[in-house]
Amino acid sequence: MPEAKAFTNTNKPTWCPGCGNHGMFLALQRALAELGWEKREFAMFWGIGCHGNGADFYDVQGFHALHGRSLPPASAYALTRPDQHVVVEMGDGDGYGLGLGHFVHACRRNVALTVIAHNNQIYGLTTGQASPTSDHLMPTVSTPQGVLEEPVNPIGIALAEGATFIARGFAGDIAHLTSLYIEALTHDGFALVDVFQPCVTWNKINTFAWFRERVYKLEESDWDATDRVKAFDLSLTAFHELTCAPDTCKMPIGVYFRETGKPTYGQSTPASAEPGWRRALHPRDVSGIMAKL
Amino acid sequence: MSQTAPYGREVRIRIGGPAGFGIKAAGQSLARVFAQAGYRTFDLTEYPSLIKGGHNTYHLRVSADPITSHVMATDILVALDRPTARLHIRELTPGGALIYDPKDFEPDADADLGGRDDVCLVPVPLTRIVDDAGGIKIMRNVAALGATLGHMGMALDGLESSIRAQFAHKAPEIAAQNIAIAQAGLEHAQGAPCAFPFALPAAEQAGDLVLADGNEAFGLGALAAGVGFYAAYPMTPASSLLHFMAKHGDAAGVVVKHTEDEIAAMNMVLGSAFGGTRSMCATAGGGFSLMVEAFGFAGVSETACVVGLFTRPGPATGLPTWTEQSDLRFALHASQGEFPRVVLAPGDHAEAFEYTWRAFNLADELQTPVILLGDSYLSDNRATSERFDVEAVEIRRGKLVAEGDVQDHPDALAGDGRYARYKVTEDGVSVRALPGVEGAIQVVNSYEHDEFGYGAQAEEASIRVAQNEKRLRKLDLAASMVPPPNRFGPDDAEISLVFFGSTKMPALQALQWLHAEGHAVNAIQVTTLWPFPAIEVCRFLCDAKINLIIEGNATGQLEGLIREQCLHAVHHRLRRYDGRPFSPELIYATVKQLLGEPVELNAAGALVAKEDFN
Repeated sequence: MPEAKAFTNTNKPTWCPGCGNHGMFLALQRALAELGWEKREFAMFWGIGCHGNGADFYDVQGFHALHGRSLPPASAYALTRPDQHVVVEMGDGDGYGLGLGHFVHACRRNVALTVIAHNNQIYGLTTGQASPTSDHLMPTVSTPQGVLEEPVNPIGIALAEGATFIARGFAGDIAHLTSLYIEALTHDGFALVDVFQPCVTWNKINTFAWFRERVYKLEESDWDATDRVKAFDLSLTAFHELTCAPDTCKMPIGVYFRETGKPTYGQSTPASAEPGWRRALHPRDVSGIMAKL
Repeated sequence: MSQTAPYGREVRIRIGGPAGFGIKAAGQSLARVFAQAGYRTFDLTEYPSLIKGGHNTYHLRVSADPITSHVMATDILVALDRPTARLHIRELTPGGALIYDPKDFEPDADADLGGRDDVCLVPVPLTRIVDDAGGIKIMRNVAALGATLGHMGMALDGLESSIRAQFAHKAPEIAAQNIAIAQAGLEHAQGAPCAFPFALPAAEQAGDLVLADGNEAFGLGALAAGVGFYAAYPMTPASSLLHFMAKHGDAAGVVVKHTEDEIAAMNMVLGSAFGGTRSMCATAGGGFSLMVEAFGFAGVSETACVVGLFTRPGPATGLPTWTEQSDLRFALHASQGEFPRVVLAPGDHAEAFEYTWRAFNLADELQTPVILLGDSYLSDNRATSERFDVEAVEIRRGKLVAEGDVQDHPDALAGDGRYARYKVTEDGVSVRALPGVEGAIQVVNSYEHDEFGYGAQAEEASIRVAQNEKRLRKLDLAASMVPPPNRFGPDDAEISLVFFGSTKMPALQALQWLHAEGHAVNAIQVTTLWPFPAIEVCRFLCDAKINLIIEGNATGQLEGLIREQCLHAVHHRLRRYDGRPFSPELIYATVKQLLGEPVELNAAGALVAKEDFN
C-alpha cells in the first residue's frame, strides 16, 4: 500500500503559510493511501486558482484544466476510461463561477466522479475579489460596497440536480475531512465534498477561528443522510452570514445526503464499457453502415 | 437534336413549398430512386431557419454522366404552393414542366409564369388524390413524386420500393396507401397535354455508388478511424453529424455526448483524448467561437483531437441555414498564443470521408489539434459518390504507449528516469504514454509547462522557449504529412483557377464544360490550408498566365493568404457571400468572360437555352 507521501513530488507547495489547501492536500493523500489506490489507477483534474496549483505538487496522473472547466474533461475521461477512478478539485470561483453550468449538469448526469471544492469564499490567486460564495454584503476589492448578490448554494444546487453523494468538510479538521474523502472516493456515482478552506490572505472574515466556533458534525447529531428534503432545508439554514453569532449560527459538516443504487451515466452507456483507446486498434468496418445510406 | 452545351444528359427537378411539407424527405426518396437506377445525383436543399412556414426548396440533378455539383437550371418545377411558381419559374428551361395542384392556384400568365409561353403546365390534383386515398395533407408530396416520374415517362417501381423501405417499420397499410397515392399522381401526369421533352437516356450501370451527404461522409470517416468519443452541441450545419454519431454510437462503441454547450463539448474532447481515446467534436463558426479557449488548450497540451468547423455566414448567428467560406482566417488564427495546428478542407463527399480518417492520424502523429474545415454546402447536400474507399483506411497513432511500463521506452524518459511527457525532441513530438501505463505520471496542463507538464517551472525563460519551439517544430513535420493540393486540367492553360473546400464541386463541373469546349483551363484546389502549401501554390501561379481566385467570402481570405505566403499577384477574383454556394454556371460564365467569349445567364443564374437531347 502506498504511503501518503507517495502522492507528492519534490516540488514545494507555493500556497501561503496557513492556507487551508495544506490541510486538504494532506487529507486527500491520507485518504488515497488508506484506500490503497495505486498511482496508475486514478487521475486527478484541477481547474484554475490556488487549488489548481496543486497540479504541480501531487505526484499523480493529472489534468490541469482551464478556468472553470475541470468537470467536462473529467466527465469525458471517466466515460472513456472506465478502468480509472477520477478525482476533481475545483475552486469556488472556478467551479461555481465560470463552471457553474458544468457543475449543474455534472450533478444531474451522475458520472462517477469525486469532486472536491475548495471553498474559501474569495478569489485568492487574482488577489481578493468577490467569489460566487462570498457572503452577502461582504466588501472586497471588486465589491467595495459589499457583494449585492446572495451566495451560490452548492449543496442546495447539488441536491436539486440529483447528485448522489453530497458532503461538506472543513480544512481545519483533517481527520474528519479524510473520512469524508474516503466515503466520497468509494461512492459509485457523482460525489461532491464542498470544503470550507479559509483564505488566510484575502478573506479576513471567514477565518479558521470563525469556522471553529461554528462547525459541528452531522454524524454526531441525529441526522438522516437519506432524506433529500431535509438536506435541502439544512442547506438553506446553514448559510453563513457576516453578522451571525457563534451561538446561534451553526455550520454542519459531514454527509448531507447519500443515495445508493442509482445507475451512473457510464453504466447506462454501453459504449462506455471499454477504454476508448481500444476502439482505435484497427479501422472500424463501416461498409455495413455505408451500404444502408 | 442534341442538347446545347454545356449541360449534359440530365434532368433537374425542383420541389418547393413551405417548411413542414416534407419537401426534403420527398426529394431524398426521389434521389434514392434515381441513384438505385444507376444515375448520378446531386441535390441542393435551401431552407430558412424555420420549422414551419417560410419557403423551402429541394433541387435534384439527375444525370446519366458523372457530375460533381448542383446546377441552377430546372426542368420540372413541382410547386406545392403558389410562391414556389412565382419564385422559380425563371429557372425553368424551355419546354420544362410546372407541376401544380389546381386547387392551390391556376397559373396566371404574368404573375406566375412571368409571361413565358414555353412552359408545359401539368395540373395534378394532389389534394384530391390524397383525399381519395384517405391520406393526410403531407402526403401531397408523394403524389407529386408520382406525378414527376409519370411526366418523365418513368415507371413507379423504384419509388415503390423506396416507399416500402421508408415505411418498413410501420403497418403495411401505410406503405400501400402511399404507393396508391404515388400511382394516382403518376397516372394524372401521364395525361398531361404536353410530353416531357427531356427523357433521360438509360443509365449505364454506374458501379457501386454511395448516396450520402457531407456529414454522413464525415461521420463514416470518423467511425472508420476508430473514434471513441464524440461530443457536440446542436448547431446547423453540424447537427446532423451529431445525429449520425448518436444513431451509430452504441453499436460502434462510441460515447456520444450532446453537451450543455460547445465549451463543454471541446473540453470533454480534451479529457477523453487525455485518456487515449480518439475524440472529435464538430460545430459551426458560432460554436467554434465558444470552443476557442479549449482549442488553444489542445495546442499547448499537445492533445490529439479533431474539430469539425462547418461554416455558414457570420458573424454571430448570421444566416444559420446558408453557406459561406468566411471562417478560413478564423480557423487559421483561433486562440491566443502560437501553436501548431492542421487545417484540412475537403472539397467533396469522398474527401470528407478520407480527410476525416486522415485527420485522426495526423492528430495522433503530430499530437496537436486538426480542424476539418467544411461548410453547409458540403454538410447538407447529398451526392452519389464512388463507394468510399474503406480499404484504404489505416490507423497510425504515432508515438503512443497504451499499455505496459514506461520504463521499457527509454526515449520517453528524462535523465533521472522519470517519464517526461513533453520531452524535447528533434521533430517536436514526444512519446505519449497513456494514464494507466505503469510509471506514466504526467500532468496535462493548460499552463505552459516543463518536460513533465508542471507549470511553475515553466516560468523559467529557457523552458518556455524550449517547449514553444518544440511544439512549433511539428509544423515542418506536418508539411510532409498533410494532403497536397489537387491539380486539375492541363499544365499549360489559358486561365488558372484557385479555390478551396466545397468550391471544388461547382468548379470541377465548370471545368468539365470548359474542357468539353476545348478550352485549356486548369485549377488547383488547396486541400490543406495550414500548414499552407506555399511551394505548390507558388509553382502553380508562376506557371499560370492568368489566375482567378474563387472563394466564398467578401474579403478574399484565400487571396490574402496567397499574397502573404506566395508573394504572388492575384489577377482576378470571384467571391460570393450571399449565403448561396457557387454554381457551376457562374464559374463557367466568369471564365468565359475572361476568355473573351461572354455567355448569357438568365436571371436565375442558369445558362439560357436548353434543347431536348432525344
